[in-house]
Amino acid sequence: MLEKMREIIAEQLNVDEAEISEVTSFKEDLGADSLDLFELVMALEENYEVEIPAEDLTELTTVGKVMDYLKAKGVE
Amino acid sequence: MKTRVTELLNIKYPIIQGGMAWVAEHSLAAAVSQAGGFGLIGAANAPVEVVREEIRKARELTDQPFGVNIMLLSPHAKDIAQMVTEENVAAVTTGAGNPEPYIPMWKEAGIRVIPVVASVALAKRMEKHGADAVVAEGCESGGHIGQTTTMALVPQVADAVRIPVIAAGGIGDGRGMAAALMLGAEAVQMGTRFVVAEESIVHENYKQKIIKARDIDSEVTGLTTGHPVRSLRNQMTREYLRMEQEGASFEELEYMTLGSLRKAVMDGDVKGGTVMAGQIAGLVKKEQTCAEIIQEMLSEAGALLKKDWNIG
Repeated sequence: MLEKMREIIAEQLNVDEAEISEVTSFKEDLGADSLDLFELVMALEENYEVEIPAEDLTELTTVGKVMDYLKAKGVE
Repeated sequence: MKTRVTELLNIKYPIIQGGMAWVAEHSLAAAVSQAGGFGLIGAANAPVEVVREEIRKARELTDQPFGVNIMLLSPHAKDIAQMVTEENVAAVTTGAGNPEPYIPMWKEAGIRVIPVVASVALAKRMEKHGADAVVAEGCESGGHIGQTTTMALVPQVADAVRIPVIAAGGIGDGRGMAAALMLGAEAVQMGTRFVVAEESIVHENYKQKIIKARDIDSEVTGLTTGHPVRSLRNQMTREYLRMEQEGASFEELEYMTLGSLRKAVMDGDVKGGTVMAGQIAGLVKKEQTCAEIIQEMLSEAGALLKKDWNIG
């Protein structure tokens, strides 16, 4: 899962895949602002065919948290 | 004039007045709606009962539809979101956040939902969650802004969504309106020009500051905090930018801006307060009634759109 996540994140936030690990914070490490995060969430919804409601967005601060979140939603 | 936005909001002309904090109160909103446009009351950080009172006062002044702009970062946003359903306003526009949690409740109350967006992704997301239209706001606007210009943002948003798009940012006359329509918008939202309307209650100093502004007189502060704001250059913006450059903390910077808009709008302190205005301030040259502003824009835009361009 991390492999694909890195690909999506790298593409959406215009960063190098090498910069991305499970502990990477979107805001602090990758400099993402709220508009960037929306791009990312839209891409995640499309790629994993899940719905990510607005109230969940605030907790999705790091790559690892997104992975846990998606797993809890049944994504393999 | 007829577009999907005039039909959606049941108005004569596709001109919406921005829901500016402190400025967009009942007299301005009612005057714009009475003149055939769509007025907005800006809830900003005001408590719920203050906004309710504004809605009721506006209703005494006009029987035409008007709306409320809800600033989602406000501590009262949730209460106001609920209150507008009780007061049955025609439409809600939202800024500074994501209105998704409230959309079902507003739709059920028959309120038109029009989020302000600064990117294609957010516009698509709002459409997916049931928005009736979006305001695509470019960074020429005054107040809190995104990064893309109106010229670039509007056609991209218009291509990305099926719901109607309202263009905002840098529009101050009929030329801007015609251009916005050409870019794919079906209405425009204007702030700065309505700030100097006769019916606008802002301090005379604030109006004069806009009327005297030149094209280069606006400045963006707060880029380092992630909440950039466009306002007219003065002592306040210079001091803020100096502190920003010196690496002042978010808290220090926030403290500095606390109440600074109110200071300019209500007390007329246009040196030490924040005079929010868009880049188009340089074009705004005189105080007029809302009806005059709207009629002038329509005739200018109409003449341009009907002009024979002799192509091919």
